[in-house]
Amino acid sequence: MRKSTYSAILLGALLSSLMMSTASAKEQLVLAIGGEPEQGFDPLLGWGQYGNPLFQSTLLTRGTNLSLQPELATAWSLSADRLTWTITLRDDARFSDGSALTAEDVAFTFNKAAQSGGRADLSALKTAAAIDDHTVTLTLHKPRITFIDQLLTLGIVPHAERENGYTDNYGRHPVGSGPYQLVEWQEGEQLIVERNPYFYGQAPAFAQLVFLFTSEDTTLSAAHAGGVDIAALPPALAANLPSHMQPVVMQSVDNRGIMFPMQPANGDRAPSGALIGNNVTADLAIRQAVNLALDRQTLVDVALHGYGRPAFGPADGLPWSHTDEHIDAPDLDQAADILEAAGWQRRDDGLRYKDDQPARFHLTYPSSDSTRQLLAEVSTEMVRPLGIQMQPTGRSWDEIQRQALHQDAVVMGFGSQSPQEVYYLYHSQHAGNGFYNSGYYANATVDNHLEAAQTAASAEQANHHWQAAQWDGETGYGFRGDVSWAWMVNLSHVYAADKCLDVGELGVAPHGHGWPVTANLLDWRWTCD
Amino acid sequence: MRTIQPHLQAIAYASIAALALLALLSSHWWAGELAGQMQFDARLLPPSTAHWLGTDALGRELWARTLAGLGLSFWVGCLAALLGTAIALSLAILAMLSPRLDALVQLLIDTLLSVPHLILLLLIAFALGGGLHAVIIAVATTHWPSLARVLRAELLQLRQAPYIGISRALGKSQGFIVLHHFLPHALPHCLVGALLLFPHAILHEAALTFLGVGLSPSQPAIGILLADAMRYLSGGYWWLGVFPGLGLLLMVLSIERTATLLRRALSP
Repeated sequence: MRKSTYSAILLGALLSSLMMSTASAKEQLVLAIGGEPEQGFDPLLGWGQYGNPLFQSTLLTRGTNLSLQPELATAWSLSADRLTWTITLRDDARFSDGSALTAEDVAFTFNKAAQSGGRADLSALKTAAAIDDHTVTLTLHKPRITFIDQLLTLGIVPHAERENGYTDNYGRHPVGSGPYQLVEWQEGEQLIVERNPYFYGQAPAFAQLVFLFTSEDTTLSAAHAGGVDIAALPPALAANLPSHMQPVVMQSVDNRGIMFPMQPANGDRAPSGALIGNNVTADLAIRQAVNLALDRQTLVDVALHGYGRPAFGPADGLPWSHTDEHIDAPDLDQAADILEAAGWQRRDDGLRYKDDQPARFHLTYPSSDSTRQLLAEVSTEMVRPLGIQMQPTGRSWDEIQRQALHQDAVVMGFGSQSPQEVYYLYHSQHAGNGFYNSGYYANATVDNHLEAAQTAASAEQANHHWQAAQWDGETGYGFRGDVSWAWMVNLSHVYAADKCLDVGELGVAPHGHGWPVTANLLDWRWTCD
Repeated sequence: MRTIQPHLQAIAYASIAALALLALLSSHWWAGELAGQMQFDARLLPPSTAHWLGTDALGRELWARTLAGLGLSFWVGCLAALLGTAIALSLAILAMLSPRLDALVQLLIDTLLSVPHLILLLLIAFALGGGLHAVIIAVATTHWPSLARVLRAELLQLRQAPYIGISRALGKSQGFIVLHHFLPHALPHCLVGALLLFPHAILHEAALTFLGVGLSPSQPAIGILLADAMRYLSGGYWWLGVFPGLGLLLMVLSIERTATLLRRALSP
């Protein structure tokens, strides 16, 4: 009798603890979406450039249709000479320590970020100044239409000279005015955050978020065990979800393509010491033929397991990209004609040659990235019938930078919600600038179009110039012009989410699987009791 | 009877290993092309009569890729074992030439044996930038000390033999003694040593490639097949890992068994 009483009490305790944990699960959301930032949560060093800064607020945000929405800023305007932004701030914004966020903090953030040299590009900023507590001006060296991106992505940090102000260790202990504040970060394992009680907006539905930084396999195992509410998945595993989860697909402009070295190899070296140029890919006919041979839908089906769409440019579907920049279907006959006309003749070994130069080049990809490996291998097969031999070669990122970046065709990925990326990718001024324009593409007309876009009076006007850089009827970086890339696919980001989790209307994600899905975190709801 | 049985076993194992190797070596001609042939409408299919061991993510036949991978592993193992044996033999002979050189060789052997060879292996392969040559050099330069120690001991014994003394008394040069006495005596030991090193080399090649500092992911090496299989294992595509793993296990076991029996058979 006594034993059964003890058992009943024990069972009751267990059930009540389970019920309590179930009840608290509604308040706590577990996310395994990867993307742990190495440099910590410091916006001045790049945190928040992709997705949601979570701990900090930005001046503006984007709606799902990429329209500008107020956030910390209630009003914003650009002067007639396009050199000065005037921003009016809301007066109820507070940091997570309870202190008020003022124009001084905004000015400090922009000035400091410009000096920090992080991922945020503030090279155009001359100075930021607080006019009064709620008004700040941002003055530029020269007009730059894409400067507005920094208003959308740069999280505001507290001024260094105030209590709990910005320090070099801010990334580990962020204080911001965003919807959540950091509780604990165990690097390489997990991040725990909870509601910021001073957040000016609507309180988030979940009191606590736990971000797990686990490998794909561990994530999937945890999802099967019911330990994760939303998890980033490789597309190959999207078909085998546990029964309590459903796939959530986020469209993106996260693209993959083949970057061609545009200069012939003449022994020139980049400042890093890496050789520049490739005699095969420097030939326009080769680049055109590769573009025409690629069956992009098959690439999507095979390499992305159907989770994606064909890509024809760096910003497909975005207002700064031509809408008619696409190839209806692969055309090997036209590709062969182009090669013949350019003097690439097929020989007995099946390869084409031009002046004894075989149509053979390395197609390098980062060996740690299975999607890029599949894209490289499948595209190689598609080009082979033309007599062009691409040699898929896996290398580490370090090796790619030291050896391959400027002399091999490289499977690369970009994708941004800003046309600034187009400027970086194709302007000759950025030739050899890290991964941007690593093929040393240079076209003076394209440069002029890109400059005109940056100095345009409005985003709409700028879009005409961005599009002209792609193709202006005579030249351009796109495949009707110089064909400096063979864009292949735009990825869809796949997540497994608990069926009780409503993630609302997801926007279009930029490059990077993970944090972008949290952009509308405040709209997420738990729909079960 | 007891002395004959190991010989027969060794011959039996050697025959099986030789047949398997023959199949592997010729696989380049009859499976090489198929190993790279993609069938986009037959991706990730389980084993069946149409696809004996199933297909991978690009619709390539897994049996062809496994054979091609084992063939590649065999060559890597061969070269690494030969190079490792050559290093061991050279150093063992060098140790015979003078007491100073002997002390130096001993120091080298002791130093290398005191470092965990897997760490050294990884470091060398990484420093050489990965690839076929890096794997071969890394395996060879980390696996010679044990064999060198055995060979040195054998040659030390031999150096005291009366016929070596007679050879010296007759005015024969060091080179003559090395070529006509040391080498013929050491070669059977080298053969067994190389055979024992061989499965190690294959396993390490697979391990290095699996860890990403070995062969290129585009080559159908066993380590690559296993690393690829890991990505799909959670999706239930078990055949991608099971068959290459089994193939590797069988090859390594048969060679190791042959070598062990051969060593016993050659021992007096």
